Amino acid sequence: MSLPPLAAHGLGKRFGREWGLRDCTLTIPPGAIVGLAGPNAAGKSTLLSLATGLLAPSEGSISVLGCDPLRDSAVLGRIGYVAQGAPLYRSFSVAETIEFARRTNPRWDDAIVPEFLTRIASQTKVGALSAGERARLALALVLGKRPELVLLDEPFVGLDPLAGREFLQLLMDRVAETPTAVVIASHVIADIERVCDHIVLLTRGGVRLQGDVEELLGSHRILTGPRRPLGSIRGVREIVRERHSDRQLTLLVVTDRPIVDRSWTVEPVGLEELLLAYMAPERPLTPPTPERLPLQWHG
Amino acid sequence: MAWVTWRQHRAQLVAAAGLLLLLGLAALGTDIPIRSAYRGNALSNCLPPNARSGCDIIVRHFESQFGSWADAVRVVAVLPALAGLFVGAPLLARELEHGTHRVAWTQGVTRRRWLLSKTALLAAATVATTATASAIVMWWRSPFDTLEGRINPSGFDIEGLVVPAYALFALALGVLAGLVFRRTVAAMTATLVAFAATRLLVLTFLRPHFLSPLHWSILPTDPGPPAGDWILSDTLVDAGGRQITTGREDLAVQHAQLAGIDPHTYIDTLGWKRLVTYQPAGRFWTFQLIEAGLFVALAVAVVLVTLWLIRRTPT
Repeated sequence: MSLPPLAAHGLGKRFGREWGLRDCTLTIPPGAIVGLAGPNAAGKSTLLSLATGLLAPSEGSISVLGCDPLRDSAVLGRIGYVAQGAPLYRSFSVAETIEFARRTNPRWDDAIVPEFLTRIASQTKVGALSAGERARLALALVLGKRPELVLLDEPFVGLDPLAGREFLQLLMDRVAETPTAVVIASHVIADIERVCDHIVLLTRGGVRLQGDVEELLGSHRILTGPRRPLGSIRGVREIVRERHSDRQLTLLVVTDRPIVDRSWTVEPVGLEELLLAYMAPERPLTPPTPERLPLQWHG
Repeated sequence: MAWVTWRQHRAQLVAAAGLLLLLGLAALGTDIPIRSAYRGNALSNCLPPNARSGCDIIVRHFESQFGSWADAVRVVAVLPALAGLFVGAPLLARELEHGTHRVAWTQGVTRRRWLLSKTALLAAATVATTATASAIVMWWRSPFDTLEGRINPSGFDIEGLVVPAYALFALALGVLAGLVFRRTVAAMTATLVAFAATRLLVLTFLRPHFLSPLHWSILPTDPGPPAGDWILSDTLVDAGGRQITTGREDLAVQHAQLAGIDPHTYIDTLGWKRLVTYQPAGRFWTFQLIEAGLFVALAVAVVLVTLWLIRRTPT
């Protein structure tokens, strides 16, 4: 599979006068498990809606599995998408919901269904399921399509930690050995950092950070040392965040070589801290260019 | 898609079957006294070519006895609107309201095929239901049709081909309204308003002119035209062919009364004529074809607009 499962170029979506997503350029490599992180209203859901053709881009382009999701909407048969809140027909029973998916998907495979629906009576109405059961049913619908790309929008909202873990486990068991790429949008980084090998950080300004998790963690370091005026530090390509107390200075930096200066304590950084540092609005990675709107924050 | 459509709309289909059954039973039950009165009074001998004396009394008696029943049956004129309100409007609005379009439109069936299959299947069911209702009404109304004709709106609107055509149009309107308003109640309201307005506009401004109406000029004292035609207007004109206003007519009547002449005779001497403009009863099926064709064409146009819109709908 040479085509990227998901690629966007200069993608933007405007709702009235507000931009829901802007300047989004990204490529997701085949087989990657991608954490799509970002604060609320950063455009994560908008991006997934654009990827499934539920929205049309206002500018730029997006392709999924090499197709335009709006024009070649048949590609949706190869994509598994669970919208926020896992909407399903509440009046359908579990068995009818599966029948619905079977009837609307030419590639449907019944084989995966049973393991997802253990402990759920097939005649139960969807409206009577618990949040965890409902999420499992939505996941069964997605994986029964034998998708080449799975898009999950905030799948952990409303799930207790145990149900969330079980959900991820079912998903990973299914896709680990396949070339299926998975994108999990979540504003809670702790939920996704266990499984994703790739990160896309979306903020209102666009894609702030993307890359392989190992590489990102490998290239970032936390430096701690006595407070001093900041000059250039050997081995540091860029300072992402700077924090200081009265006597101490803590930096999150991108390194290009090992740090040799012994006055710094060098420590690795965790994914959550790394992403939070990049999300911090007070220090944008690139200063806003004149033609771009300044960052706006809503309550 | 057939299974999906059935599963999501079986309640409406069952309700439609129930309504048909009720209509059929009501028609059967009320038909017996009507037909026996019709046959007992030998009303068929009172039809225009061989009307005998006393016929007008018999006909008037029959009409006073059963006329209110015929009026009640006009209620079936709302059946087509029901298809729009309860089948068409929720089709998209309910999905958009509950967010389930995000499930329905991201499966292997493309959005347009999803909409087209559902609409086509429901349209077939709608046509079957309303055509049956129309057939029941035609059978039930046949005694009234022979006496009063059926090109009048009171018969025309609930008989023949127009009933399923109206229903198709209402259904298409409902689907479009659901997409535009995205709320079931709003879509139902919009469907009702748009459907009623279209029906009224066609009835008032188009149907009288499907074919150019015929004119019939008679003396004011002559008996009126025979029942069965659709009278569009019935006015007095003077010898020059100009229409006479009620003011002028009143003046003439006053003048005759002051002079001690019978007003009718006076008006005859003025050379005034009664001008009747009408569509003859024989044009019933031609008009049915034209109006049904018009509404089917409108329905197709509305479906095409919906198909075009659904691709670019922000969700």
